[in-house]
Amino acid sequence: MTEAVQNVSQSQIEVENLNLWYGEKQALKNISMQISKNSVTALIGPSGCGKSTFIRCLNRMNDLIKNCRIEGRVLIEGKDIYGPDVDAVDLRKNVGMVFQKPNPFPMSIYDNIAYGPRIHGANKKDLDGIVEQALRSAAIWEETSDRLKSPALSLSGGQQQRLCIARTLAVKPRIILFDEPTSALDPISTSRIEELIMNLKKDYTIVIVTHNMQQAARISDYTGFFLMGELIEFGQTRQIFHNPQERSTEDYITGRFG
Amino acid sequence: MVRERYFQQLDLLKKCVLSFGELAELIFRDSMSSVIDLDISLAEKTLALEFEADKLEGRIEASVFDLLALQQPMASDLRLVVSTLKISADLRRVVGLSMNIAKIPGRMEGGHVKPLIDTGKMANIVAFMLENSLRAFETQDAQLAREVAARDEEVDKLFYAVWVELIEMMAKDTSIISRATNLLFLIRYLERIADHCCNICESVVYLVTAKKVTLN
Ligand SMILES: Nc1ncnc2c1ncn2[C@@H]1O[C@H](COP(=O)(O)OP(=O)(O)O)[C@@H](O)[C@H]1O
Ligand SMILES: [Mg+2]
Repeated sequence: MTEAVQNVSQSQIEVENLNLWYGEKQALKNISMQISKNSVTALIGPSGCGKSTFIRCLNRMNDLIKNCRIEGRVLIEGKDIYGPDVDAVDLRKNVGMVFQKPNPFPMSIYDNIAYGPRIHGANKKDLDGIVEQALRSAAIWEETSDRLKSPALSLSGGQQQRLCIARTLAVKPRIILFDEPTSALDPISTSRIEELIMNLKKDYTIVIVTHNMQQAARISDYTGFFLMGELIEFGQTRQIFHNPQERSTEDYITGRFG
Repeated sequence: MVRERYFQQLDLLKKCVLSFGELAELIFRDSMSSVIDLDISLAEKTLALEFEADKLEGRIEASVFDLLALQQPMASDLRLVVSTLKISADLRRVVGLSMNIAKIPGRMEGGHVKPLIDTGKMANIVAFMLENSLRAFETQDAQLAREVAARDEEVDKLFYAVWVELIEMMAKDTSIISRATNLLFLIRYLERIADHCCNICESVVYLVTAKKVTLN
C-alpha cells in the first residue's frame, strides 16, 4: 500500500479552509480539521458558534438551505464531497445523521428501519435480517423484538433515539454525525446512548455535537472547541480537558466565560 | 461570571492549603528551635499543634471531595484540586516528622554531643525549601519550584557529612551513643522533610505545566 493511501485510511474526513455564509453573515471561518477513522470526535462551544452548521457540511445538509454559500473543501476518504460528480443522496447514505429530537417516521418500528434499505434497493428476503441487525447494533433489539409491528411513536424518548440510530445504521454508513443526540433525554437514556456511541466507533467514524462538556469528555477521543464560527482548538480529548492550550478553551470548559 | 460559588470554593481550597503550609512552617521551625535549645516547654507547645494540622488536613480533603463530586473541575481547575490533595498529604508528613523532631528534647539528657552547626545549616535550607515551595504554589511559579527542589542536593550532602561525623564520634566514645543516635534521627527527619518539599515542588510544576516531573 502506498503512503498516500495509508494516510487516507487514517483520516476519514479532511476539512480544508472551510468558509460558510448564510446570506451576508459568515457562520464558519476558515475551518481545517482532520477526523480519524474509528474515532469519536466531539464538537463543543457556546450556542450559535457554528457546530451544527459545521457538521451539516459533512453530509451536505446545508445544500437544502437557501442563501447558504460554501467555500473550501471537505474530503471524505480522499474524495471532495462538493465535487461535481457527487450524488448527495449517496453521500448521506455513507454519512448518516442523528438529530437532537428523536424523529421516527409515523410508521411501525420495523418499517422505520426497513425504510432506508428499501429505498436503496435491498432484497425483500434480506430485510428481516437487516432490521434485526440494526436494532441489535443500536442496543434496542431486546426491547422491540416482540413488537416490531407497533408504531415507533409508542416508544419512549430514549428508545426512539436508539431507533433513529438503528435506522441510520440500517443503510450501512461509514460515518455517523450526531447533533446533540441526548439533550432531550433523561440521564439513564443518555448513558445508554453514550455507551452505544462508544461501542459504535469499532465500526464507524463518529462526530458528535454536544453542549454537555462532561459528555464530550466521557465519550470522545478528540475534541474541537468552536467559538463564533472559528475552530479555536482541536486535539485529543484528554489534552483539551486536562491542559488546553488556548485561553478561551480553558475559560469555556471551566465555566469562566463572559 | 456564571459559576461564582464554584470559584469561591476553589479559592478557599487554595487558601486552606496556604494556611496549612504556614502552620507546617511554624511547627517545623519551633520543633527545630526546641531541639537546638533543648527547650522542653517549646517542644510541648509544638506537639500540641498536631491536632490543628489534622483539622486542616480534614477540611482540605472534604473540600476536594466536594469539588470533585459536585463540580467536575476541568483543566487547570482539575490540576489545582489534585495538587492541593497531594500537597496537603506532603504537608501532613512534614508536620508528622516535625513532631518526631519535637520529641527529641525530652529524650536528650546531658546536652548535645557536638555543636549543631551543619545540622543548623540543614535546617535553614529545609526551612527555605518549605517556605518557597509554598510560595511557588501560591504564585504558580514552576521556575521557583525547580530552583527550590534543586537545593535538596545540599541537604543530602550535609546529611551524609553529619552522619559520618556522628558515626566516627560514636566509634571513639561509646558513652555518647544514645545522645548521638537522637541526632542521627534528627538529620534523617530533616532529610525526609526536604524530600516532601521536593514533592510539593513537583505538584507545583504539574499544576502549572500539566507535566509530571521528578525533581529529586
Ligand atoms: N438556516 C440558517 N439561516 C441563517 N442563519 C443560520 C441558519 N442556521 C444557523 N444560522 C446562524 O449561524 C450561526 C451558527 O448556528 P449553528 O450552527 O446552529 O450554531 P450551534 O449549533 O453551535 O448552536 C448562528 O448565528 C445561527 O443563527
Ligand atoms: Mg446546534
